[in-house]
Amino acid sequence: MLHRWIDMTRYRFRSLVQGGQADADLDRELRSHIAQQEEELVARGIQRDEAHRQAVSTFGGVERMREESRDARGISVLENLTRDLRYAFRGLRREPMLLVAATISIAVGAGGNLAVFSLAREFMFAAPDVRRPEELVQFRVSHGSHASYQKWQDLDASDALADIAGFSVEKELNWRNGDQVTALIPMLVTANFFDVTGVPVALGRPFTAAEARAEDSPRMVLVSHAFWQNRLGGDSAIIGQPITLNGDSYTILGVLAPRLRSVAGFSISPAVYAPLSRSLVPELQTPANIVRLLGRLKPGQTLAQARTAVDAADRRLGRLIGDTLYAGAQEFTSLNTLVGASGPKALKMVGGFFVLLGLVSLMVLLIACANVAGLLIARGTRRRQEIAIRLAIGGTRSRLVQQFLVEGFWLALIGTVAGLGLTVAFMKLVNSLTLPIPVPMELHLGVDPAMFAAAVVLVFLSILLCGVLPALSATRLSLVPALKREERFVATRRFTARSMLLTGQVTVSTVLLVTAFLFIRNLSHTQVTDPGFEVNRALVAQLGFVRGLPGEDHIGVLQRATERVAALPGIEQAAFTSSVPLTMHGGSTSGLMAHIDGVDGSQHVQFARSNVGPGYFSTLNVRLTSGREFQASDVVGTPAVTIINDEFARKYFNGRNPVGNRMRFEGRDTVYEIVGVVANGKHVTLGEDQRAAMYLPLLQHPEGVEVAFVVARTRGDPSGSVVTVRNAISELDRSASVQVESMRSALKFSLLPSRIGAAVLGTLGFLGLVLAAFGLYALVSYNVSRRVSEIAIRSALGATRGGILRLVVRDAAVLVGGGVLMGLGIAALVTTPLATFLAAGLSSKDPVSFVGTFIAFIVVAGLAAWLPARQAVRVSPVVAMRQS
Amino acid sequence: MRPSDLIQGTLDVLILKSLATESRHGWAIAKRIQAASGDVLQIKQGSLYPALHRLESQGLIRAEWKKNETGRDARFYTLTRAGRAQLQAEVSQWERLSAAIQLTLKHA
Repeated sequence: MLHRWIDMTRYRFRSLVQGGQADADLDRELRSHIAQQEEELVARGIQRDEAHRQAVSTFGGVERMREESRDARGISVLENLTRDLRYAFRGLRREPMLLVAATISIAVGAGGNLAVFSLAREFMFAAPDVRRPEELVQFRVSHGSHASYQKWQDLDASDALADIAGFSVEKELNWRNGDQVTALIPMLVTANFFDVTGVPVALGRPFTAAEARAEDSPRMVLVSHAFWQNRLGGDSAIIGQPITLNGDSYTILGVLAPRLRSVAGFSISPAVYAPLSRSLVPELQTPANIVRLLGRLKPGQTLAQARTAVDAADRRLGRLIGDTLYAGAQEFTSLNTLVGASGPKALKMVGGFFVLLGLVSLMVLLIACANVAGLLIARGTRRRQEIAIRLAIGGTRSRLVQQFLVEGFWLALIGTVAGLGLTVAFMKLVNSLTLPIPVPMELHLGVDPAMFAAAVVLVFLSILLCGVLPALSATRLSLVPALKREERFVATRRFTARSMLLTGQVTVSTVLLVTAFLFIRNLSHTQVTDPGFEVNRALVAQLGFVRGLPGEDHIGVLQRATERVAALPGIEQAAFTSSVPLTMHGGSTSGLMAHIDGVDGSQHVQFARSNVGPGYFSTLNVRLTSGREFQASDVVGTPAVTIINDEFARKYFNGRNPVGNRMRFEGRDTVYEIVGVVANGKHVTLGEDQRAAMYLPLLQHPEGVEVAFVVARTRGDPSGSVVTVRNAISELDRSASVQVESMRSALKFSLLPSRIGAAVLGTLGFLGLVLAAFGLYALVSYNVSRRVSEIAIRSALGATRGGILRLVVRDAAVLVGGGVLMGLGIAALVTTPLATFLAAGLSSKDPVSFVGTFIAFIVVAGLAAWLPARQAVRVSPVVAMRQS
Repeated sequence: MRPSDLIQGTLDVLILKSLATESRHGWAIAKRIQAASGDVLQIKQGSLYPALHRLESQGLIRAEWKKNETGRDARFYTLTRAGRAQLQAEVSQWERLSAAIQLTLKHA
């Protein structure tokens, strides 16, 4: 049995790969047969010429035998396929317009999908570059995303995993480069980090656990490849050179591998990798939670076993110290499945955004495919006669469908390859972009097997979407009229596959456009939303101080800096503060039990907290509702005072005027007197619900100032004062980093999500509109061209131009109107979950977006119907009649 | 008798049988069947070659190019092991069937 199977397979394979070989063999065999027949006849005494004639004539129809023999060989499906591929390719080459239109449509659709795919994969799923990532795990212990340095030491010393390392990308440090001090976000790591993770190094060497112990104040760093190239000159002599960080000299040990994906995930690419030390993190030896934990599994250890081991180790440590906060392991995941290190909430938000993007780009592909399908159906109708002939002489429907699908395959393939090209161009662009955010991010998009797999999936999806409907509709025809080239009367069948397709296409485009509209509206909405403080005429100077230096007086520096800035021409007023709303340093959020004068017992209060200096509110034009601002006299040693916002007063003082009342938090001694109430404003995001806020005088709480700001209100355009302000401040503390920008530019970060959303969705929505308009135009003009003779008869019988135009436009209006209405209905459902991305005050059922979409489509549809209709009525009846 | 008059599928078994003793080329197979049947069965080329290729694709016979007795190139067919088994099965089935028909014709 096996022999036979091998024989059969070999036979089929040979006839497949040696395409014409089998046919040639057959010819040779038949010739040999005829020759032998001839020999025999000659042997019987017949003349050779006559013998040859007889031998050939008795042989019979060679062509039919060839066909039958081919069928007998049992490979007709594959052979037909290669023939169809060739035939379809030739056919498409003869119709360059179809080819170009389909290629553009599918390229745009496929390109969008591939770009979103590569972005999402890079941003969320790309495995960090480490040695054997499958052995690495990330985990949280005792309810915290971060663990204290002591906790890391204890866990690493325990026998739970092979090794445990910690890292932090939350601190800033100051890099002095000549006269300039720049704030960098470093990757601060435990001494054993490189030993455990095996992050690759391109030049020099990583530091080892033995030499980089935090207790020994290690003064060594590695720099990222991009930082080395762009900021340090890219010279390999850099190894062993010093670099000044936070005022101390460090030795550059090595340069990391280029295009490195860091263990922090989310494309975060710190410029500098330094071992943790007291001089970089003064609170290192305190219980403060500093590092995120990574571990390497022991050989053969499973994820579950590792989790149990870490859990037990953490609880054992807890019992030792008697601290109930040692609650064991949480969120124990392998590192290469998903670097969702910022926690499930951020992941949900980012993931949600990409799911949305994915859906939108799929919709664009759907529209593109509907276009191509429409073109193919039109082409099928033009080829009715050819198809009818093939059916009449015995071609089966499945053979014809196969041929149509093959055409779809070519279009899908060419389109997807072009889309891949678009994506590569897009990736080049994105890789070179610098995002306006304070976190160092590098995207390393690239073409890889997964992307090709995605492209292959897209090709097949497009074939299905573009090819099936045209194939079925073209081969379903009644033979006789088709052979006689009779046109089927259009009016007899209103709901043809093509018109249904168009309605569907308009529906999808409508949904897409409403979504795009919403995001564009959202962007303009956030631009005009009043955050509650001066944005247009304000400057922000950020000072990053180095802590732990002898003779440090950060408050003094801040006060002097504010005085200097206030004295500058063009500056109306200046103040210092430890936070600026809507930036990375937007203050903290607290929830505490409070005792408030005039309220019985204690109540839970939740509020945003910021420490600000004197004159802060008047500088940023925040209206004082009652009471007074902080003054220079509110210093340590004077009675504790606080200012709250209107929302705080409304929520916790039941509308009484709070000024003069006192407030105390449970577990703390300080009694705050409320001296003022200010107007509400935004704190963390523009879209947030109004928060209660509490402000404390920075001069009364000067401890632990690391990053602080001087804000200034300018007379005119703030960008003109950026340089003078920087010059005024930078000499005051040579170790501090100074970053000056306009308030609007400082708020870029909070506008970023809606900006990106608006840009991407706006682009996709616009593409959808263009594609849908294109398809609409093609369909309507095609329908009109088929009705030329009907129109001619009508005008010959005396129909007016206006009457005919109305007729043509009405048909289009029915199709498009139906699609738009359906789309608006679906959009109302689909956009509901978008509410989280929208600015406050903008509903997901925003009427402007819906009406705008409706109008846009009516205009496009009107144009698409009117242009060809105008041409149709110009046709002379005589010409048109002759045409049919 | 024309091949179309043969009971369906009989041609295959005749071809297999003609190859049982030695390998032959197409022309010789037709001749052999014609001679063995006492000139009753005449195999048309139009049926012979598709049948040969069908048998080949089924793995029952194998083909190779060789010189024939007059030194001309010809495609020689040989029974495979599977072909031999198939021949035996079909012959015994045919014998059962024809015996049954004979009995029926005699006694019914």
